[in-house]
Amino acid sequence: MYAGNVSILGGAALPVGKLQGLSEAGTQNLEHEVLASLIVEALADAGLEKEDVGSMIFTLPRPYTQQKYFATFMANYMRLPCDGLVMEVMGNGMTPALTFQVAVDQVRLGRTRVALALGINFETGTAAPEHMMSSMRATGDVDFHAPFGFTPISWYAMDAVRYIHEHNSSREDLAMVAVKNRRHAMDNPVAQFRKPMTLDDVLAQRPIVEPLGLFEVPGRGDGAVCLVVAQEDVAKGTGRPYVNIRGEGFYHEGAHQISEVPNDMIAFLAAQRAGAKAFADAGIGAADIDLAEVYAPCTIVEVLVAEALGLCPVGQGARQAASGETALGGRIPICTSGGLLSRGHPAYVTALYSYYELLEQLRGRGGARQVRNAELGLACTELGNYNAAMVHVLEAVA
Amino acid sequence: MTRPIIPTDGARAYPPRMSDFTKLFWDAVNKGVFRTTHCDDCDRSSFPPKPICPHCWSDRVSWTELSGRGRLYSATTVHAGPAVFAADLPYRVGIVDLDEGLRMATRVLDDTPLDQPVELVVLAYEDGPLYAARGIAGKAVKPTSEGS
Repeated sequence: MYAGNVSILGGAALPVGKLQGLSEAGTQNLEHEVLASLIVEALADAGLEKEDVGSMIFTLPRPYTQQKYFATFMANYMRLPCDGLVMEVMGNGMTPALTFQVAVDQVRLGRTRVALALGINFETGTAAPEHMMSSMRATGDVDFHAPFGFTPISWYAMDAVRYIHEHNSSREDLAMVAVKNRRHAMDNPVAQFRKPMTLDDVLAQRPIVEPLGLFEVPGRGDGAVCLVVAQEDVAKGTGRPYVNIRGEGFYHEGAHQISEVPNDMIAFLAAQRAGAKAFADAGIGAADIDLAEVYAPCTIVEVLVAEALGLCPVGQGARQAASGETALGGRIPICTSGGLLSRGHPAYVTALYSYYELLEQLRGRGGARQVRNAELGLACTELGNYNAAMVHVLEAVA
Repeated sequence: MTRPIIPTDGARAYPPRMSDFTKLFWDAVNKGVFRTTHCDDCDRSSFPPKPICPHCWSDRVSWTELSGRGRLYSATTVHAGPAVFAADLPYRVGIVDLDEGLRMATRVLDDTPLDQPVELVVLAYEDGPLYAARGIAGKAVKPTSEGS
């Protein structure tokens, strides 16, 4: 066992976009080439060498990635012998968070001093109605939900309808989350959607899952990220700024999309519990957090998770997005990257983009979207309808 | 209590699979009867029906009939769906809290508002049954916009 801190000391991220498909010349972006360049870039960012890496923990690629057994293929492609672990991790929307956690745990177990947490999600070559034939089987009971036509985001839409009903809120209130996050994304070079967007623009879009329209639900995108995780003494040895993992929490409520025992669905119990565990582990409270990157595929989800984590009072999350409290320059900036709605949502690597954003912010590299004096950042990810949540508290080390 | 059975054209878009155990549920639905499992040890019900009680993990479960009545907890109208549901678009789905204290998810046939009473009905497709919820008044109108 290794008793010290685990650090993130470098990273690289591909700008999210639609990268699958054939060019006029009949060529295409191939996953291993894209990821190889990110590995080199991330290691250079960390100030480490190829020989320092002992483990590579990959997110499972989408089924649309032709190259199967991608992790071992990449070990060959990079000619990187590893004495720690090489594997792929899968867990729906939580896939990248679990990948990161495995890398952290490998370092903590002393199996390796340096691990890469990395992955690539290419999916836009497959049309949404076909993609949903697969995703509806993940976010619901195949025999007791899927036959009725539930889609992954239909569950979040029902959160929105319930929230509006209980808190006298409105679609307009919730939509301000999308407007706020677009403003953040405009200054993020890896964000997919960076054009200015007004509330009217959001409300004018066609409905997808009522009350949510096209700009209140995630667009589809391809992406890839590589993070370098290591024992803190390795990070210190580089002489560069890095980030420590200060607290961790996980909770699964033992339900899949809905609880068969009626509960308060929009309380996001898993986020409450995972957040409380992470705060206790870090020895801090929610008020100590300087910025948060939360997994929120729809406007309503950012509101509910912010409330569940204690970043906003219950029933106030939407209004605080509108009033600027959760915007850059506000009390607690949420999703400075632009979040899933504007930074983008290549699902199996999305949380890696969250950690990457915190890494940049906590090293003072946020550019025009930099949160001043950012010392503590929170990342929260989930699966299902926040049936499980995983929270990390990251701390800047100058 | 036998539920209304609505003859429905065509085949189910994404039919549920059946085990020897869950076939007993679907066979009853086919006759207009909703039932689920109840644990003889901890006295709690479960939905969907399961041969092992999820609360205490006992395998001493019995079938118990459900009233088929409850209230609409939430709902949404889906405008972009999986390929097999293209012909149904737009359609309304929702979460129903049954009077017996069980939560389930199903199709909603009308624009019943949240927290209002609904009843389950059988949709008798040509290849087998599904079920859906509708307002107690049973008005089969196209849903209006959600959350407004």
